[in-house]
Amino acid sequence: MSGVGPVEAGEGTHAEDAPSPRGRLAPLYTRHRRAALAAGAAALVLTGGLLYVTRPRPEPPAPPPYPSQAVGFTYLGPEPRPADLPAGSFRFGIAVTTRDGPPVTVTRISQPSAGLTLTSTPRPPFRGPADGALTVVITMRVTDCGKVPRNAGLPFLDVTLRNRRAIEDHSFILGEGYARDLSEAIEVACSNDLASLPKLKNTPENADALPAASHNVDRANRP
Amino acid sequence: MPRKGLIVRQRSLIAITAALAAGALTLTACGSRDDSAGSDSEGSGGGTTVVIGVDAPLTGDLSALGLGIKNSVDLAAKTANKEKTVEGVTFKVEALDDQAQPSSGQQNATKLVADKDVLGVVGPLNSSVAESMQKVFDDAKLVEVSPANTNPALTQGTDWQKTKTRPYKSYFRTATTDAIQGPFAAQYVFNDAKKKKVFVIDDKKTYGAGLAATFTEEFKKLGGKVAGTEHINPDTKDFSAVATKVKNSGADVVYYGGEYPQAGPLSKQIKAAGAKIPVVGGDGIYSADFIKLAGASGKGDLATSVGAPVEELPSAKEFVANYKAAGYKEAFEAYGGYSYDSAWAIIEAVKKVVEDNNGKLPSDARAKVTAAMQNVSFDGVTGKVSFDEYGDATNKQLTVYAVENGAWKAVKSGTYSG
Repeated sequence: MSGVGPVEAGEGTHAEDAPSPRGRLAPLYTRHRRAALAAGAAALVLTGGLLYVTRPRPEPPAPPPYPSQAVGFTYLGPEPRPADLPAGSFRFGIAVTTRDGPPVTVTRISQPSAGLTLTSTPRPPFRGPADGALTVVITMRVTDCGKVPRNAGLPFLDVTLRNRRAIEDHSFILGEGYARDLSEAIEVACSNDLASLPKLKNTPENADALPAASHNVDRANRP
Repeated sequence: MPRKGLIVRQRSLIAITAALAAGALTLTACGSRDDSAGSDSEGSGGGTTVVIGVDAPLTGDLSALGLGIKNSVDLAAKTANKEKTVEGVTFKVEALDDQAQPSSGQQNATKLVADKDVLGVVGPLNSSVAESMQKVFDDAKLVEVSPANTNPALTQGTDWQKTKTRPYKSYFRTATTDAIQGPFAAQYVFNDAKKKKVFVIDDKKTYGAGLAATFTEEFKKLGGKVAGTEHINPDTKDFSAVATKVKNSGADVVYYGGEYPQAGPLSKQIKAAGAKIPVVGGDGIYSADFIKLAGASGKGDLATSVGAPVEELPSAKEFVANYKAAGYKEAFEAYGGYSYDSAWAIIEAVKKVVEDNNGKLPSDARAKVTAAMQNVSFDGVTGKVSFDEYGDATNKQLTVYAVENGAWKAVKSGTYSG
């Protein structure tokens, strides 16, 4: 069996045993070595600092799009009416989709008419879906037939949206199908049972908006 | 003292090495910063030249909007050439001045059709001018993409409220129509601004009268009252008689269908007559020049315009930066982003046609480009750019702006998703 032990330096192989290459500069360096070392240390610190400051850093992640640009609301159609839904109420389905970036949070859903109230399921705040569509059911109730638009062409659904970028109020204009279904639902709500609606008004100011009595009679007389 | 001598020598070696390394690394770092500089900003796409025509008012009252259109198309062409978007094709722009006159627009259309290198046209600004150009382009199967026309009849036929029929297959637009813009304004004015009694004025032109009509219809449906209506002559700047009628009507808001050269003085004179009520208009008044013309009393006036505010669209920010860097003298104004997207739609259609023909333009390039336009889809300055069966933009966003502190400020945006 043979082995190789640690290699040890032989005589005359130490660096200090070799002839000095510095020649005439050696005494000068010896006299000022403290200053030289200080300068070297300073250079080292400076270099380190410079390298740290100028180190390559990864690009900061791009901010998400503004919430109104990241989410979509699409009208699905009327929702079935539960038996316990109060008179003058109706329900619609809305698909909420994420178009770009991470899902946004919906913190408010409303509509602008003074004669309607709106609630939704799920109730805000809720997050939009990461994939696919989230069906939101909105329930509206006519509170004042004198203030509801009977035949609005482009009714709004107003929402407040939030993500890491911003909080935004935005309107979604759900199109002709929503406008038609909303108008029909309002007509039914304001024609079927006038007594069930709490604040029906027919003042001169809104007479055009609600051609009132004769109109309602016409509706009532339909087959 | 051999050990002390060793330590001294090792320290000095470390110090010198550190200093040299520091210098070398510093130089390296400086060098890496220079790597990105000096790129060629004037690249060329190749040997075949394709001309993108532009028709817009480059002189006259509406030239601020027209020059913004021209410059934005120029920027799109330069970008495509620099990036070699269509291999083997260099895009050039030929811009013609229609002075907002239908007759000039028709002459320009004929001129552009006669140039065989023209494979697409961006414009015009005015719906009335577009009416005079559509057939000329359609007969030549030359595609036209307007960044600014909002009259619904241009894409959906004159009977659009009852039966939508596309009159010309070669006509497309990136702007939203007044079928949405007018009702959008009415909803805001009635429900958000709480104005219930409107005085409606228009300039009798295709755009102005059409927009005023769609606004009025929706405003009445919402329960609003029309206190009075008037038409003005766009060739005059004296609207004192109309202003007095507005004052006497008791209206709490004025809606004006028309453009800023008349809307600015009209707003000023209505306030001077004693009616301290806001004037509301469409994209035709959404210009910095409106604010100059309306003066200090224009504070609180409102305008709707197509699209989302620029600051909400990252792609629009890039466009704004590139437009600034290109050094154009005039602002890109209301239709800059839409003009860039209109030009880019043409570039994308040309690209599709070239790629489908083994890298060369076919002999019937115009017809092929027109057909390809129907299926164009890309992420543009204003969002997703594509067209529906009528040639209308599928991206339908609108914004209400108010005059605040001498500038337009976005107050509400809406997205049409019907």
